[in-house]
Amino acid sequence: MKFATLLAVAALGLAVAGPVRAVETGKAAKAAGAAAQAPATDAPVILSDGATRVADWVATAQDNHALPYIIVDKPGAAAYLFDAKGKMLAHAPVLIGIAPGDDATPGIGAKSLSEIGPAEKTTPAGRFLAKFGVAAGKQRVLWIDYATSVALHTIPPGNPKDKRKERMLSPAIDDNRITFGCINVPKIFYNQSVSPLFRRKGGYVYVLPDSKPLEEVFPRLRVQPFLNAGVGDVGK
Amino acid sequence: MSPSLTKIGALTAVLAGSIGLTGCATKGFVREQVATVNQRVDALDARLQTTDGTAQQALAEARAASGQSQQNSQRLDQLNGRVDGVEQRMQEAQRKRARN
Repeated sequence: MKFATLLAVAALGLAVAGPVRAVETGKAAKAAGAAAQAPATDAPVILSDGATRVADWVATAQDNHALPYIIVDKPGAAAYLFDAKGKMLAHAPVLIGIAPGDDATPGIGAKSLSEIGPAEKTTPAGRFLAKFGVAAGKQRVLWIDYATSVALHTIPPGNPKDKRKERMLSPAIDDNRITFGCINVPKIFYNQSVSPLFRRKGGYVYVLPDSKPLEEVFPRLRVQPFLNAGVGDVGK
Repeated sequence: MSPSLTKIGALTAVLAGSIGLTGCATKGFVREQVATVNQRVDALDARLQTTDGTAQQALAEARAASGQSQQNSQRLDQLNGRVDGVEQRMQEAQRKRARN
């Protein structure tokens, strides 16, 4: 009897720790990521249209050059982690720049936090080659855009009035805009998923835009349908 | 008196005379030599005292220099630690701050 119980517990544990096959988006992603870790079920994943397009393009064109990559969906306030072969491994809610916008103010990388104006606190959209490094305060971060000081890291021990943890855990998306431009992710996502993958050679980070057209931020998306069609025609 | 005894007596007299004469010459010579040696000993003694004084002074100076060197070494260590700290703070200050 005891043996049967043990077997049942073991089977349940395996099921919970199974690989991520899909990720939901938006509020559902936040709810699933409330525990700040990859979803534990095999439920089908529905990414936003933009995230899906970028994910398909990266996988098809192998734009990641055999490196792991993260797609940050700003409108959905979520990050999706893929391995070098394009397999989705985990996802999590993210905190992003408080100001909507897809560009970084020139020279913002040289400013101190107190010098950054409210409208400048944007998370720039685009394709970035990211690597780990040490920032001020001996903080180890994944530099996304070193020039504009944008990095991906856990919630910093800063102003408690920001209520960043609460914002990350809340089901709403709008309250995830709070940072100076960096992307904050849950600790478990950062330490257990991103860090092991990006530690050696880094990887790519694709940040989806707030307002710009997707093709403007990722121009190769324009040719991807034709390339796909070409591949199809060849097949015919 | 037999002739042999006369010869022996004469020989003894000659020997005694020669010994006596020789003894007078040796005493003077010795006094002279001793005086010379005394002078040299005095000179050496004086030089030894001078050398000893110089050596004592040198020893004192060496001890003082050693003490000073030890102090300098300690100050150098302290300064080294302070420079390391400043350097670390400089590196820290030069590190880029993420936009949190």
